[in-house]
Amino acid sequence: MKLYIKITVLLIIASFISCEDVIDVDLQTEEPRLTVEASIDWEKGTTGNNQTIKLSTSSEYFDKDRNNAVTNATVIVTNTDTNEEFIFSNQNDGNYTINNFVPIINNTYSLEIIYNGETYEATEKLIPVVDVKDVRQSTEKGFDDEALEVNVVFDDPEDEDNFYLFKYKEEGDLLYELEDVDDEFVNGNEVSWWYEKDDEDEDEENFIAGDRVFIEMYGISEGYFNYIRTLIEQSEGVGLFGSIPVALKGNCINVTNKDNYAHGFFRLTQVVKTNYIFE
Amino acid sequence: MPKKTKLVHQKKQIVCAFLLLLSCFVHAQENYSINGTVSDAANGETLFGASVFLKGTTTGVITNEYGFYSLTAAKGNYTLIISYVGFEEKSIDIVLDKNQKLNFEIKEFATQLDEVVLTADEKEHVNIRQPEMSVNKLNIKTVKQMPVVLGEVDIIKSLQMLPGVTNNGEGSSGFNVRGGAVDQNLVLLDEAIIYNTSHLLGFFSVFNADAIKDIKLHKGGIPAKFGGRVSSVLDVRQKDGNNKRFAAAGGIGLISSRLALEGPMFNKNGSFLVAGRSSYVNLFLAASNNKNRVGFYDLNLKSNYKLSENNKLYLSGYFGRDKFKLGSSFETTYGNASGNLRWNHIFNERLFSNLSAIYSRYDYDIGILIEEFDWISSIDNYNLKYDFKYYASDKFKLDFGASGIYYHFNPGQIKPTSASSSVNAMKLDQKKAYETGLYVTAEHKITDKLTAQYGLRHSYFNRLGGQPMQDYINNQPVTYNNTLGIYERGEASGETNYEKGKSIANYGNFEPRAALAYELKNESSVKLGYSRSAQYIHLLSNTTSVTPLDVWTPSGKYIKPQLSDQFAVGYFKNFNEEDYSLEVETYYKTTDNRIDYIDGSDLIGNNTIETEILNGESRAYGLEVLFRKNTGKFTGWISYTLSKSEQRTKDENAGGPGISSGNWYSTPYDRLHDLSATGSFQLNKKWSFSANFALQSGRPVTYPNGQYEYEGLSIASYSDRNSDRLPLYHRLDLSATYKPNKKPNRRWKGEWVFGIYNAYNRKNAASISFGQNTDTGVNEATRTAIFGMVPSATYNFKF
Repeated sequence: MKLYIKITVLLIIASFISCEDVIDVDLQTEEPRLTVEASIDWEKGTTGNNQTIKLSTSSEYFDKDRNNAVTNATVIVTNTDTNEEFIFSNQNDGNYTINNFVPIINNTYSLEIIYNGETYEATEKLIPVVDVKDVRQSTEKGFDDEALEVNVVFDDPEDEDNFYLFKYKEEGDLLYELEDVDDEFVNGNEVSWWYEKDDEDEDEENFIAGDRVFIEMYGISEGYFNYIRTLIEQSEGVGLFGSIPVALKGNCINVTNKDNYAHGFFRLTQVVKTNYIFE
Repeated sequence: MPKKTKLVHQKKQIVCAFLLLLSCFVHAQENYSINGTVSDAANGETLFGASVFLKGTTTGVITNEYGFYSLTAAKGNYTLIISYVGFEEKSIDIVLDKNQKLNFEIKEFATQLDEVVLTADEKEHVNIRQPEMSVNKLNIKTVKQMPVVLGEVDIIKSLQMLPGVTNNGEGSSGFNVRGGAVDQNLVLLDEAIIYNTSHLLGFFSVFNADAIKDIKLHKGGIPAKFGGRVSSVLDVRQKDGNNKRFAAAGGIGLISSRLALEGPMFNKNGSFLVAGRSSYVNLFLAASNNKNRVGFYDLNLKSNYKLSENNKLYLSGYFGRDKFKLGSSFETTYGNASGNLRWNHIFNERLFSNLSAIYSRYDYDIGILIEEFDWISSIDNYNLKYDFKYYASDKFKLDFGASGIYYHFNPGQIKPTSASSSVNAMKLDQKKAYETGLYVTAEHKITDKLTAQYGLRHSYFNRLGGQPMQDYINNQPVTYNNTLGIYERGEASGETNYEKGKSIANYGNFEPRAALAYELKNESSVKLGYSRSAQYIHLLSNTTSVTPLDVWTPSGKYIKPQLSDQFAVGYFKNFNEEDYSLEVETYYKTTDNRIDYIDGSDLIGNNTIETEILNGESRAYGLEVLFRKNTGKFTGWISYTLSKSEQRTKDENAGGPGISSGNWYSTPYDRLHDLSATGSFQLNKKWSFSANFALQSGRPVTYPNGQYEYEGLSIASYSDRNSDRLPLYHRLDLSATYKPNKKPNRRWKGEWVFGIYNAYNRKNAASISFGQNTDTGVNEATRTAIFGMVPSATYNFKF
């Protein structure tokens, strides 16, 4: 949030006199890398038995065709506390699935992927999340005090550092919007986290009565927070006042050939999913 | 020999050497001195850099910052010549048979009021004899002629037309000198440190040209009296105020207006100057029912009082603010404030002194109205300086002095503005430090052809206690995670509480400075320079451009002072009786302990900054050419710089390969080519025209080198730091000045300045950002250009 505020303040200043347009740029291209989207998300109130891990490879930045599914890998997840092994089955479309996964809060899991004769490994803990107390709408928060925004209300636990990932999507929209949250400044408080659709784009509208927004709140580890924070910042486009973008490395290590690291992350989270219809 | 005694020993040797030299030149002959000040007859402003010399001899001197001169010669009859750019030469016959005080007032060329055509006598030229090099002095008149965006005269933008000076383009604060960072410039306004030189993110500079007397930029060979920054010194001096009569000057522009009032005080024993400037975009915003606000204002004050012939007091101040408000959700204000009290005292005809007590501050306050809290941060410093100049003999002059600066840093503080705010109050550790400097410099005319300037500065920095400091396992605030191949924050092993009065860390450095000028035939000379300097405070900025919300941090237990060495060689020539001049310089500069940031660093509201940074080094080298036409209806210059500025970050303490695998990479302010041309043409008494052209290599940036799908989004993977470049930057600005000049003797003098910034509407990329189109999901590169073509009109007046 801190950086977000800083960038926002600066962009407001610059927006008075700047103009934007889309242009063609020549880019460097790196060799394709394995991308691991191993998100073991346990929705509260479900068994969490059904899980999917997606594997693909990276491509040229401006390629419109991003269908680079990896169909010749093996995927195994192990609970290192119980030594229970979960073998994911290859659906031959880049998805590797399982229907008898056992999620246990605060247990540590390891991931092993074998692809093109190289082994990738990762280890991560399953992080719990608090309940959502209330979802409500307001106008006075957000950048525009006439526009509607949705508020997710929850109690942040006081005696620990907590990290959250929020995902929002209005019904009918193409892309999710991600937001990372660190309880550093709000530790132990009742937090009302708002989301307002920004109307920077001419063709993007604010929320109006009748709109439905889907909301997901994840409890995440500090390691994943550091990763997703940078990912979100960089995916929003690094403009005039953004940090210098960096080669982002996740937690999936190539143990066969260290330099050929994988994109993506092995995360285990608990998630609350809800939705809200504006009045 | 233990290190400490060795240092003491060295120090003694140096002192001895100086004493020896002194005794050589102050020999007993029948010598007498004359001293005094040189000032402008029209308004009593003292003149800095006026030349006072004895005709037919090589004895001469340049007036100092306060217009003071002193020269010594053997008993006899002489003709004394006083001259200054743009002023009538004055000559006077004197009989030198005793020490005497002579104050001179010289007149500006009468034509100067109506025209800016420079004749042979009043032109600027290169001083080929003085050893001083890597210096650019800009006359405020020259600055005022150059076309600028929105008609607002801008010293910082004018400096960028000189070789070796660039910035990150529109929308960025500060400027870069010889491949150095923004925070490596010491910017002084009447000796007070200015921490942010920009209004509205670099669209305007904080210097109001109506209040400024002169500007001097040291790009290298920084005199020993200055310290604390490794790249450059920008020395800006405010006017003293007219002590002859009341006068006013002002201007009305599209964005802002300004007014300066000055006049005599205390029975003409003193004078004052008050200058104010304010933008009024807010009026338009309010009128158009827009709830956003943007604006700035500043105020300059200066006053002086002559206590006696040998004692003069000066008081000066500056206060500036920028304000932004976004509806009822955010507001932010930031700005500099400074105050300075100086006492000029002339001990005797050969010894001049100045004592200054200076305060300066920079702070910002971001009000997050929706979350009901304020985020504030500031840096304060108190500075005491005592400087002396001893005019030992015709061949030898000595500058020496001492200074002390006390700093207080508030890196960040959160203040909830209501009880219902969900944000907790918080204050980061307050940091305190002091910095002292001792220096001595000699200007020594060794032969008629060879002049040297050599000196030594000793700087000392003490980071004071009164705060806890984190300790880390293996003393590593940052560690390299070999498995993941990334730099991580080190693990804390505890905390040491440093009590008040205890030192957390301290550093001392000797900084030798030397320059040599050798005069060749045909009005030309060769100069050599070397300087070493230390910098103890650093601006934390991991963004592509420096912003007004970046925070300064002192050296301490984990952050070491930056140490820089610079070598420069130059060739200087005046042609055709000084109608043209040529300056060619080449430099090589290295800086140790230049910090860079780990991937994913978080600098805001962070109490343990050391966990975000890696220690590295930087180097810069280049060739600068400046060719000026100094006289005639057409005047101007062309400057070209070929340079390289690189950084390497292999932190031994943290381990690992370093940033970009430990290879040299471009700094964000690297420019391979930089060409600037500026010219003005006086058509007739009423009309004059000027133009600027700038062309430079694009700024190093980091672009994507691939994409991958994650969370249903296309995520860019990025290549090595700063391994791409923005497109070529170029721009043409034009302006025309019209002086109605109906009644030449009327006191009221007005002029219209019409300008076009970026005349052919080049969309220079301030940044290019990469992201997914939210409707189509396709990746796009979006260019942000700050100014398109901007026309402007300003009316200036004075009476």
